[in-house]
Amino acid sequence: MASTVIATVVTTVIAFVIFRSDGEPALATPLTGFSAPFVFGRFNVPKGNPLTVEAVALGRRLFYDVRLSANNSISCATCHMQHLAFTDGKPTAIGISGKKLAFNSMSLANLLWGSEHFFWNGRADSLEQQALIPIQDIDEMGQNLDELVVELNADAHYKAMFAAAYGDINADNIAKALSAFERTLVSSNSKYDQYLRGEATLTDQEDLGRKLFVAHPDVKTSLRGGNCIDCHSQFLTAGFKPLYDGFSNNGLDNEENLSMGLQIVTNDPAHRGFFKVPTLRNIAVTAPYMHDGRLASLDDVLDHYNEGTQLSSTLSPLIMEADNVVRGAQEPISLNLSDNEKRAIIAFLHTLTDHDFLTNKSISSPF
Amino acid sequence: MDKRAFLTLVAVCTMSIMAFACARTVNKTETVSLRFSAVVGQAPLVFNQILYANPGGEGSFKVRDFLFFISNVKLISESATYLEPGSYHLVRFDNNDRTYTIILDDVPKRDYQTIEFSIGVDKTANRSLIAAGDLDPNSRMAWSWDVGYKFILFEGGLALDDVLYPLVYHVGFDENYKPLVFDLQSSEYQDLGMLDFQVDIMKLFNGTHPIDMTTLPSVKFDRQDAKLIATNYQSMVALCAVTGCPSSMRLSIDQGTLPF
Repeated sequence: MASTVIATVVTTVIAFVIFRSDGEPALATPLTGFSAPFVFGRFNVPKGNPLTVEAVALGRRLFYDVRLSANNSISCATCHMQHLAFTDGKPTAIGISGKKLAFNSMSLANLLWGSEHFFWNGRADSLEQQALIPIQDIDEMGQNLDELVVELNADAHYKAMFAAAYGDINADNIAKALSAFERTLVSSNSKYDQYLRGEATLTDQEDLGRKLFVAHPDVKTSLRGGNCIDCHSQFLTAGFKPLYDGFSNNGLDNEENLSMGLQIVTNDPAHRGFFKVPTLRNIAVTAPYMHDGRLASLDDVLDHYNEGTQLSSTLSPLIMEADNVVRGAQEPISLNLSDNEKRAIIAFLHTLTDHDFLTNKSISSPF
Repeated sequence: MDKRAFLTLVAVCTMSIMAFACARTVNKTETVSLRFSAVVGQAPLVFNQILYANPGGEGSFKVRDFLFFISNVKLISESATYLEPGSYHLVRFDNNDRTYTIILDDVPKRDYQTIEFSIGVDKTANRSLIAAGDLDPNSRMAWSWDVGYKFILFEGGLALDDVLYPLVYHVGFDENYKPLVFDLQSSEYQDLGMLDFQVDIMKLFNGTHPIDMTTLPSVKFDRQDAKLIATNYQSMVALCAVTGCPSSMRLSIDQGTLPF
């Protein structure tokens, strides 16, 4: 069975989803050759912001330009560094005010797939909407958008780039350009991808980790599992796309200490303590972990899920229920994985590191 | 009648006939809507509140998430069968009016006798990477590609003695793909513009043998347990009569007797 299925995957992966767009500006050049693995599934590029060569080039330049911050000291890339899969290695980001921000800098990979709500608490409904928020936030980049437009207008190079991609220099077009660039940040050449394409073989330990990753444990059928797939989809390893399916309470805090999370956005008490399920692509280089960066290492993450989850009224029933041994009613929540199994899951997580993505010059700084 | 009046009459008649002919062409297809409403027993579904009695034992339960697949919607007349293309719908009720509607456009107008659809994902699409309708191997309904899709996802909690116990009922597997057939011939169901269905979540647990959630709080990969819930969900959907829901008009049918 397994070999037949893998063969099917391998065959279908050869077919690529090729990008097509409608209605791009007359002068802009549609981005050709943009592709992604079949197993990532369908994706949508907003009609109002097609992927074009000019838009992506402009977005890349803006992404790496410190002029986007009030005192020209930091750019998007200050907190989203390519060699760390566009994270910053800090528990929570630090912007121009020098204050520690509330959230960990999220990795920017495969943003065309998975949840269509952005930020850890889901407060932006599109990348375009997301892009302008950190630029203006007083503690992040602290920039006034009108001043930024004036500043960019004084630069003949930017004037030409905007003219070719969108037209005028304005806030909307800045947001569109940044989003277009971010949509091209596709990580799809990790060892796991190569394995799915039939180009690489996983070690026994990595394959055990993969099997545990995709299994919700069931003692009744002797199926052991790490329960990861209940929130992290099997190929994208990210949260789910529809509505707020890509958000969950993963048991970091008990009822008393439960923060608002997604409830801030939906006003639904059932969403209290829900945060965005991040992609696990390149997870080995994006420490520390969780929305507030409280866990320093993957060992800590596995310990959390194995024996550290805290009970609260909105804790995922899938986390409460999952166990690899028969658990008594009064016993604390635990997956009861062996040390060997925890190490195997971590080994599998390391197969999600995509060195091409971390070093690809076409998405690095143009300056 | 003078000649001019006669010609005018002829012209008007001709135009009317042409208009009628055009209208006839337009009317060759119709839009059929299937609207599903969720109830638990007799009451509309309320999420996240401990309101419902454990059917086979002590305690009360709440529903946190409830989703299921409806596949292969067909309208069957004596002469032909209409099959919706790419017919995979992930039915969910976490919206304001707790309903889910499937709209079939351009259905050839015929005298349909029955409507058929299935709970679950057919064996061709299950355990595949086919991207049709709502199928998505990166969704919460996918177990993993070699296990296939969950046909029904129910997650919630059972409150008993001030403790909340998790409830997880994930049911899939090919043998639990259940075709349902409903009679459209009775005059009560003639309006295909909006067919109302009721989905009773309590039926998952309240079949021939009511399920005690304290002894069976989760169903995942055990084939017997999955079969038990699947047998129950076979009678979860009812077609409403004009006079109200639920209806007892569902024809009983054994799985496997229908070509699909």
